[in-house]
Amino acid sequence: MQELREVLLNTLLAAGLYATMSYGLAVIYGVMRIINLAHAGLMMLAAYVTFALYTRYEMDPFLSLVVVIPLFFLLGVLLHRFVVRRLPRTTGTPTMQSLLLLFGVWLVLQNLAYALWTGDTQSILTPYTLKSVTLLGVRVGVPNLLVFGVSALSLLALNFVLKRTYLGRAIRAVTQNRDAALLSGIDADRLSAITFGAGTAFAAIAGTSLSTLYAFTPDFGRSFLLKAFCIIVLGGMESFTGVAAGALVLAFLENALAAWTPIPTSFQDAISFTLLVLVLVAVPQGLPGIARKVARWRASS
Amino acid sequence: MTPAPVSRRTLPWLLFAAAGLVLLLAPRFLDRGSLNDVWNVAFGVILACSWNILGGFAGQVSIGYSAFIGIGAYTTVLLALKGVDPYLTLPLSALLAAVFAVLIGLPAFRLRGPYFTIVTIGVSEAVRVFASGVSFTGGSSGLRMPAGSFDFSVNYASMVALALAVIALTAALSRSPFGAALGAIRQDIDAAEALGIDSTRFKLGAHAISAALVAVAGSLYAINFQYVAPGSVFDFRLSLSIVLMPIIGGVGTLAGPVLGAVIFSYLQIKLLTIPALRDSYLFIYGGLLILVMLFEPKGIVGLWNRLAASVRRSPGGSDAR
Amino acid sequence: MNLSLFRPSRTTAPLAALLLLGAASSAPPAAAVPADEEVRIGAVLPVTGKESKIGGAFKQATEFAVKEINDAGGLLVGGKKLKVDLKLLDDTSDAAKSAQLVEQLIAQQRVHAVIGGYGSQLVQAQSVVPERYGIPYVAGGAGATSIYGRSKWVFGTLSPVENLATTQMEFLQDLVAAGKLKKGLRISLVTENTEHGKDFQKGVRDFAKAHPAEFTVVLDESFELYAPDFKPLLTRVQQAKADLFMCDAHLEDFISMQRAYTQMGLYHLMLTYGARGADEAGRKGLGAATDYIFASGWWSDLLPYPQVKAWTAKYKAATGTAPQWYHATAYETARALLAAVTKAGALKPDAIRGALASLDLEDSILPGGKLKFSRSGQALLPFVVTQNKPGGKIDLVWPKAAKTGDPVAPVPRS
Repeated sequence: MQELREVLLNTLLAAGLYATMSYGLAVIYGVMRIINLAHAGLMMLAAYVTFALYTRYEMDPFLSLVVVIPLFFLLGVLLHRFVVRRLPRTTGTPTMQSLLLLFGVWLVLQNLAYALWTGDTQSILTPYTLKSVTLLGVRVGVPNLLVFGVSALSLLALNFVLKRTYLGRAIRAVTQNRDAALLSGIDADRLSAITFGAGTAFAAIAGTSLSTLYAFTPDFGRSFLLKAFCIIVLGGMESFTGVAAGALVLAFLENALAAWTPIPTSFQDAISFTLLVLVLVAVPQGLPGIARKVARWRASS
Repeated sequence: MTPAPVSRRTLPWLLFAAAGLVLLLAPRFLDRGSLNDVWNVAFGVILACSWNILGGFAGQVSIGYSAFIGIGAYTTVLLALKGVDPYLTLPLSALLAAVFAVLIGLPAFRLRGPYFTIVTIGVSEAVRVFASGVSFTGGSSGLRMPAGSFDFSVNYASMVALALAVIALTAALSRSPFGAALGAIRQDIDAAEALGIDSTRFKLGAHAISAALVAVAGSLYAINFQYVAPGSVFDFRLSLSIVLMPIIGGVGTLAGPVLGAVIFSYLQIKLLTIPALRDSYLFIYGGLLILVMLFEPKGIVGLWNRLAASVRRSPGGSDAR
Repeated sequence: MNLSLFRPSRTTAPLAALLLLGAASSAPPAAAVPADEEVRIGAVLPVTGKESKIGGAFKQATEFAVKEINDAGGLLVGGKKLKVDLKLLDDTSDAAKSAQLVEQLIAQQRVHAVIGGYGSQLVQAQSVVPERYGIPYVAGGAGATSIYGRSKWVFGTLSPVENLATTQMEFLQDLVAAGKLKKGLRISLVTENTEHGKDFQKGVRDFAKAHPAEFTVVLDESFELYAPDFKPLLTRVQQAKADLFMCDAHLEDFISMQRAYTQMGLYHLMLTYGARGADEAGRKGLGAATDYIFASGWWSDLLPYPQVKAWTAKYKAATGTAPQWYHATAYETARALLAAVTKAGALKPDAIRGALASLDLEDSILPGGKLKFSRSGQALLPFVVTQNKPGGKIDLVWPKAAKTGDPVAPVPRS
């Protein structure tokens, strides 16, 4: 019983973080059909900015989100304006071009971090980093709880924006049926800029959260990016509730397999990738495949 | 005394044959350092051109080709450790990689576009984690070739010959009905299917051929460097550079991957050997990638065609400007 | 003559360009061997990428060692003082590139000797090359025994990681003998999935097998480098209910794992993270959570030799960095190689190799105070064990002869 509670609680905490990591990718993919490979680089950069604010101004990492979120939103908008927007517009599947372009951005960000902070391992140690509290009979790290709080809050905020505002409705409309939405007069360019900004801000929230849990280097973020891939695929790429479900499934698998099976934990990553492949294959093409056929049929008739 | 007219068709082949001959004879007049560079470029050419069969001709972008390099390299090392002559293992490397390519392709080719690409990343990472977790691969420590099994001149000749063969093969493929079918799949898979092209079979064929070629290159790589480890042959960065080369040169063209490979493989090492650039090579890669993607997505070949077109439009060429 | 032949067509032009490029790549005119007016030392280090933390430290220490020689007028070779030209390259922690860069240095930049990288996989890949060209090679950052003894050109200053583990076990055994710990100790062994981790694992396992009355390994797990979440793994550790926790990890993983360990409230009579624990970066990221962790390493600034004190002060003054074990081994690696060149008296590969093989470097700052290479080419030096004490204090607790404080065992429960 104790064990079950432990697994479930750890799953929930990990899932919160995983979901935050994935939302940025999912939002951008949904609206722009772009797989943002720079996501990992942006998370890494946010971790360093948080670190800089902490060491320079002794700003609490969670408090620094007040600075980091707008900063990265702006960075995202600028990145969109000067780089991403110049790509030819895509309708259906994301192009290789956007994938590689953003990979280039990731490399540049990495180099930037090396130049500014060297390759040394950095970490943030706050008075509560090592503290823990007992919750339902399970010891839980204080930063993990705070990270979960931040995740939950940001997901709620996202939900509010999506459901209650014009902007959110526009985002959902474009995500669900791109051509129809664009035909109905949504300013696609402005929407894309805001989306890219929001996606970047989410990457920043994830990066700041990660910086309170882990030590990091400019190389930081790759394994998290692959996990996020796995999650948005699990969640069907387009649905925001799907992403949350995907995060839960992956987190549960990781914790459950370690607790109840003898599979070595070093195979953890292989498990998530195998799962990714299985899901993609078992649910062939999924909804987007059908949607694309419909779109093509419409365009041709 | 009229020389046989050289048609536009045969000229490239003549040039190609001449270049090949020069490169194969290079050990007679080049020093070892330059030969290493040529070896490197040849390795890159094989990877880029093979990838181009599936990624360029058929438009199925895979970022998981390091898996095939790894399969080839490990096949060779494992058998060589059992006493088999390394060069005799090449056919088996090719076969194993082709089989693996088909096995992966069967489910993966049911997916399209980015889904397929993501699956290839997933598969290659899973293979890497698996290879570093099991013992017969030497785990994460890797394996060394048995001592005294190395002769650079043989390796050099094999690598260069393979590179030339791959170029010729892709040229032949692009003109064959097989190449035409792949082209149809790239342009519009649904239309191709409607025309009666069994797209999965053609994609599987292209995947298997390119995987086999890459695996042989992987074997030759292992023979040259005498050491394989999951961190070197299954590295994600390797998969990425395999994609980068054709992109820089021009995806789906014949000359593009060759040019991309020549430039990329040459620069990759040279950039790192210039101490002044040591701290900014990621900047250079990243910046180059961004520039190519934004301004000339068809790569160098696209740029060349554009330039050639503008020269043709203004007779008198550069003087006019 | 058919003039149209020379008009660029769409296919011929790129091919022609290819030919030109091919020619250009081989053009740098078979770089005439430069005259030996300087000592050219190559070095290929992981300055960026996965191993960049220690790779960067190796770069700093290697450059410091060379600068020291050059500032003093150069290296004495055959009665003449020659400048040392260090050609230091970054392999980006990529094993494939690493070997190619060593090859470049030797074949094209004509270095007289090469300093190897950090990380067993990278050094494994590099160590094939020296044999091929007959150029002496000294690695300061690879303790895996399987690298050495294959080629007479390959030397290494890091003692085997297995011995590091064995030293830790001997230290623990001594604590049992002293009555501080009780026999029948159960060990949770957790190692990173790298050659370093495996050697550590083997060292602990073998020792436990040979001393079944004192030790049993009850949990034996490994993890991928830079694992994103250590909770699942540590849950297994918790369930194993062992007396000792022995782990081998990179710095990042050490920090992340020990954080989770502390938060979960785990306790063991003694705990170690292999070579980690005394690092400054570790203390920065963990604070009091590093207290009582014991670590063994290839060097410590607490070694009671006068040369260690002097060197530590000198290094700190020149670079602003408090040296760690990797600075020390990197420095000694460069110093050993340069000393061998002087001893050889000529810039001939054979002579330098011979000098390395018979080198006996006095006043070494490494444990034992003397640096020489064994027959396999790998140095076999003793290890030190340190233990962190509260308040940021570190004590050298092993070997007994050099200790600066008594080991605290078992660790007090917090």
